Amino acid sequence: MKHALRVVSLALGLAVALSIVGCGGQGATEEVSQSAEPVKIGAVLSLTGTYAGLGAAEKQALDLEVKRANDAGGIDGRQIELVIEDDATDEAKAVAAASKLIEQDNVVAILGASGTGQSMAMRGDIDRAGVPLISMAGGTVITQKFDPQVFQTPWSNTIVVPFVLDAIKAAGHTDIALLSDTGGYGKDGKPLIETSAAEKGLKIVASETFNPGDADMTAQLTKIRSSGADAVLIWTAGKEAATIMKNAEALGMREGDGVVPFFGGSGQARVEFAEGAGPAAEGFVFGTGKSLVPNNWGVDSEAYKVVNDFSTRYRQAYGQDPDIFAGHAFDAFSILTRALKTAGPDADAAALRDAIEGTQGLVGFGGTFGFSAQDHNGLTTDDLALYRIENGVWEPVE
Amino acid sequence: MPDVAELLQFVIAGLKSGSIYALVALGFTLVYAATGAINFAQGEFYMLGGMLGVWFVSLGLPLPLAVLSAVTATAAVGALFELLAVRPISDGNPLRIIIVTIGGSVVLRQIALHLFGPDELALPAFTTGSSLKIAGAAIERQTVWIWALTALAVVGLVVLYRKTTFGKAMRATSLNRDAARLVGIDARAMVTAAFALAAALGALAGLAVAPLTQTAFDVGAGIGVKGFSAAILGGLGNPIAAVGGGLLLGLLESLAAGYLDPVYKDAVSVVVLLAVLFLRPQGLLGGSGKEKV
Repeated sequence: MKHALRVVSLALGLAVALSIVGCGGQGATEEVSQSAEPVKIGAVLSLTGTYAGLGAAEKQALDLEVKRANDAGGIDGRQIELVIEDDATDEAKAVAAASKLIEQDNVVAILGASGTGQSMAMRGDIDRAGVPLISMAGGTVITQKFDPQVFQTPWSNTIVVPFVLDAIKAAGHTDIALLSDTGGYGKDGKPLIETSAAEKGLKIVASETFNPGDADMTAQLTKIRSSGADAVLIWTAGKEAATIMKNAEALGMREGDGVVPFFGGSGQARVEFAEGAGPAAEGFVFGTGKSLVPNNWGVDSEAYKVVNDFSTRYRQAYGQDPDIFAGHAFDAFSILTRALKTAGPDADAAALRDAIEGTQGLVGFGGTFGFSAQDHNGLTTDDLALYRIENGVWEPVE
Repeated sequence: MPDVAELLQFVIAGLKSGSIYALVALGFTLVYAATGAINFAQGEFYMLGGMLGVWFVSLGLPLPLAVLSAVTATAAVGALFELLAVRPISDGNPLRIIIVTIGGSVVLRQIALHLFGPDELALPAFTTGSSLKIAGAAIERQTVWIWALTALAVVGLVVLYRKTTFGKAMRATSLNRDAARLVGIDARAMVTAAFALAAALGALAGLAVAPLTQTAFDVGAGIGVKGFSAAILGGLGNPIAAVGGGLLLGLLESLAAGYLDPVYKDAVSVVVLLAVLFLRPQGLLGGSGKEKV
């Protein structure tokens, strides 16, 4: 009788433990209690407004990862609760969302925002509360204008610009024309391109700009054509890039005698660019993260496994491939959960910030993250690759 | 490259954007004539035209049919918008109509975001092939389409207004609503018709330009401002003046982008607009107001 009771209680205990811990892992050896308070994380995303395309992908990635982390036992057995706020691509709303997350939800850290302006706008509240922020926006200013509380996951312009300029130089071009937007991304890249080009001995013979929303870039391209540039670098994250290529095609800059090679950055790593520009984008070369084509890493590498595993799960859940924005959100969440495991779920904001800064060798979507007290982006040009658009799809350039 | 060819290229680019502005401006003048109010949802009709066109193509419709369906569907949305949002304003106060259209534009944009998603969409070119060359300047085939469609719309509108009973009824309503009602014209129906026509013109502009620029749920606000500026520049309430204003605005922008810094492009058009408002508030080509429809 005593024996039977012991067997039954053991079986019950095992069943409970298994159902909570799921497939096991680190948490399996810990004492687990379902009644423990969840660890609250905030996210500020642009689910509506201009950057809705970015925010939607980021939300999908975060939902997927939170569920996976919780199924695997959460942080030391405590579930993760993600509170998502929409900033409507509006800086004032991003500030309101951040203060709501801090004051009302008492989150331990905030992921976001989707845009550079929104990420910068939240700084006041972030600094006041001492809560760490991991941004998924690409603006260099986010980590260049240094704030100890702020981290960033996308490949920043500080590494992408020299990488692309090196490729232009390696292709034998010396006189380049720059066409950048006056919005956040282009304005961020332009001074970097100017200094970096000078360092590499490249001459900028024409520097033209356009405003976000412009529907015709013929005037700028006409001037670029008569400047005698032997390569054109476009620096924008907007949909105007496709218009530029179509205008260039009409001006005879894409084939025949007047052909000029066009280069770009992460802003063109979008299916919509190749689709929208159609034949005009053939041969377009851009630099961005290696993970755009996971095979870049080599199928035996850890990076390949991480990216491929994430892509597979994302495809199963949503029926589509993750774009780079989903990848940046995946990285932000991975960095935060790893730091939470290191510092412990009860760690205060300062300890959590230190744990994030201590991140070393974390293989994610963007590459291998290694933060330091000076570098809160943590990626290098080793994490980047060149791509050329061929037959409407990007192929890695050897 | 000789400078004449460069100038010609700027002029072509200017007339291309200008034609689009003209079509949108026409929509503003139609609604203004009928209600005395500015329809700030006009840009959203431009957006809806392009988005619906892409959607009809994705359903397998041939392009001409998709374009026609998109124009018709947007006109229906315009009429519905008037019936649901504008008509309930019983006193017809223009200020209240303006505020309702601002709210309506936000609603239309958010509906488009949820129906068609946040990413930009591409519409195929009306005719494929390389661009045409004239005296060293290039003209995209789509640009020729834009010009042709704008001309067609303007001629069609003039014929409608001058030759048909329906058009005459619309003009009568805009001149004197009460008198028009006394002679048996359904003035309310004319307002609905004005919204439907304005929506159709906006949709046509959005469709004509979509193969060049792609379209997205958020393109309406920007073009709305341009079209409004064009209408003011030419003179509100006069369709021909609105077309002139559109072409002029496009030319100014293109020449500013070509010969000055492109950053000043939008500034130049705003400065000209302000100058017109100060010196000649009825518009460059406008008469004394809405009587000239």
